[in-house]
Amino acid sequence: MVEIALMSVGVLVLLLTLGVPLPYCFGGALMLMYFVGDVTMKGNMLWGFQQLGNPVLLAIPLFVLAGTVMSQSGIAASLLNFVNAFIGHVRGGLGVVAAVSCAIIGAISGSGLTGIAAIGPLLIPEMEKRGYPREYATALVANSSILGLLIPPSVTMIVYGWVTDTSILACFLATAGPGLLVMLNFSLVNLFLARKFPLKLDAKPATADLVSEVGRRGVKAGPALLMPVIVLGGIYGGIMTPTEAAAVSVIYAIPVGFLIYKGLRLSNFLAAGMEAATAIGTIMLMILFSMILSQMFVMESIPQELVEGIFQITDNKVLLLVLINVLLFLVGMVVNDITAIILIAPLLLPLMEAIGVSPVQFAAIMGVNTAMGGVTPPYASILYLGARIGDVKVTKVIRPAMVLIITGYVPVVFLTSFWSDLSLFLPRLFGY
Amino acid sequence: MDRFAKYLLTGLICIVAAGQFVQVITRYVLQIPVMGLEETMLYPTLWLYILGAVNASRENTHIRANVLEIFLKTPRQHTVLAVIGEVLSLIIGIWLTTWAWDFTRYSWRVWKESPTLYIPTFWSDVALFVGMVLMMIYTAVHLVGHLRDLASAGQHHG
Repeated sequence: MVEIALMSVGVLVLLLTLGVPLPYCFGGALMLMYFVGDVTMKGNMLWGFQQLGNPVLLAIPLFVLAGTVMSQSGIAASLLNFVNAFIGHVRGGLGVVAAVSCAIIGAISGSGLTGIAAIGPLLIPEMEKRGYPREYATALVANSSILGLLIPPSVTMIVYGWVTDTSILACFLATAGPGLLVMLNFSLVNLFLARKFPLKLDAKPATADLVSEVGRRGVKAGPALLMPVIVLGGIYGGIMTPTEAAAVSVIYAIPVGFLIYKGLRLSNFLAAGMEAATAIGTIMLMILFSMILSQMFVMESIPQELVEGIFQITDNKVLLLVLINVLLFLVGMVVNDITAIILIAPLLLPLMEAIGVSPVQFAAIMGVNTAMGGVTPPYASILYLGARIGDVKVTKVIRPAMVLIITGYVPVVFLTSFWSDLSLFLPRLFGY
Repeated sequence: MDRFAKYLLTGLICIVAAGQFVQVITRYVLQIPVMGLEETMLYPTLWLYILGAVNASRENTHIRANVLEIFLKTPRQHTVLAVIGEVLSLIIGIWLTTWAWDFTRYSWRVWKESPTLYIPTFWSDVALFVGMVLMMIYTAVHLVGHLRDLASAGQHHG
C-alpha cells in the first residue's frame, strides 16, 4: 500500500506542477487511491464535511477576518510610527521596524499574508526613499511577514493541534520562541547588510524628545497594541477558547477601524469581508480534500509502515531530524503551509514520538519549516504577494530573500529541531 | 454579481463572528449560555466555507503552485497550460461532485436533526453538492474563455 500512497503523492506533485488548483490536486490523488488502490470513498465525504464543522477550525476565518479588517483600517501606519520612534534614527533602523512591526501584526492576525499586505505598501516605498534597494526592502518585509505564522495566534498551529489532537495553546507557545529568534535574526542581519546602503537617517533626538515622541505615538498605536493583549490574555488567562478570542478580535477590530483609525468605510469593509471569506473558502476546500487523503493514509496504516521502513534504513535521531527538515523544506516549496501540515503531521508524528520528539516540539518544527515554505519558490505565496506590492520582479526579489532565509531563518530551523528548550520553554512555563 | 457576492459573504462572516461573540458574552459575562446557539451557527459557517470557495472559483483565485509557468515564455504556452489545468480540474471536480451527490442523497435519506433545536442537518450538508456544481460551472466558463483566447491567437497567426 505504501507504493500506492507514494504514487498518489506523485500525482499530487504532477497536478501541482501543471497549475491545477490545490483542492483538485488532492482530489486527483484521491482518484488514484480509489481507482488503483481500491480504497473506498464511501462515507469519506460525510466524515470530511463533518470535520469542517469543528468549532476549533472556526478560529481560522475569524482570525483571517480580524487581520484583514485591521489591515484595511490603517493601523499599520500607527504601528510603524510607534516602532520607528524607538529606532528610526539608527542606521538600518527602518529594516528593524519592518521585522518588529510584522511580529506585532502577527500577534493580531495569525496569517503570514497580513504583514506584507498591511505594512508593505507603506514601508517598502519609505525604505526605498531612505536609500534601501527596493528589491531588498521587498524581500525583508515579505520574509518578516512570515512571523505572522510563528507569533501566536497562528492559523497553522490551530490546524496542527486539530489534526494531531495536541493542545492548540501549547502549539501557539511552541512557535513563539523560534518566531522571536527569527525576528531578532532578521533585525541583526539587516543592521549588518544596511552598512553598505547609502541611507538617509533622521537626526538623533534628545532623550526628552524621544520619550515624549514614544508616548505620543504610543497613544495613537494603543488600540492596535491592545488587540493582541485581549486575544492572548483572553486565551492564556483561561477566559476564552481560541475561536471565541478570534470572534472577540473581529468585534473589537470593526469599531476600532471605523471610529478610531477611520480607515475603514463600508466599501472597503465589504471588500475585506469578501476577501476574507474567499481566502477561507479556498483554505477550507483544500482542508476538506487533503484531510480525506490523509485519513485514507492513516486507515491504510501508512504512517506505521513508513516508521518501520525508515527504521530499517536508520534510527539515528540526528540524521532523521536532518532528513525530516529537508523533507519538510521540499514539501513547503511545493504546497502551502496548511496542506503540508494536514498531510505530513499525521504521517510523521509516530516517527517523531518514536525518536523522542514530543508532539509540541514537532509543532514548532513543522511551524518553522512550513512558514519558510511561504517564501521559498516555486510555491512562495508570501514572496509573490510581496513582489506584487513592492512592484518588483519576482526574479529580482529571490536573491535578497535567499540571503535573508539562509542567514536569518535556516539557523532557527535547525535550532528548533536540535534544541528542544527553544520550543518547549514557554509551553512548560504555562503548564502544558 | 460582484456586489451580491460582497454582501452575501460579508453578511455570512459577520453572522458567524457575531454568533461566537454573543456566546462569549452570554457564557462568561452574563453566565447564561444560549441553548442551541452553537449548533445553529454551524449552518452559516459551512455555507460560508463553501460559498467562499465558489467565489474563489468565480474569481479564479484558488491557490495554485504554478511551477511550470515560470519556465514558459510565450502567452500561447501559458494559455495551453491553463487549458490543461482547467480540463484536469473539470475531470477531477466532476468525480468529486458525484461523491458530494452520494453524500447529499445519504443526508436526505437519514434526515438527521440537530440535538437541541431539531434543525435538519441536510440544510448544511447540501452546501457541498451545491458548491461543487457551481464551482464546476465556473471552471467550465474559464475553460471556454481560455479556448477562445487560444482560437483568437491562432486566427491572428493565420
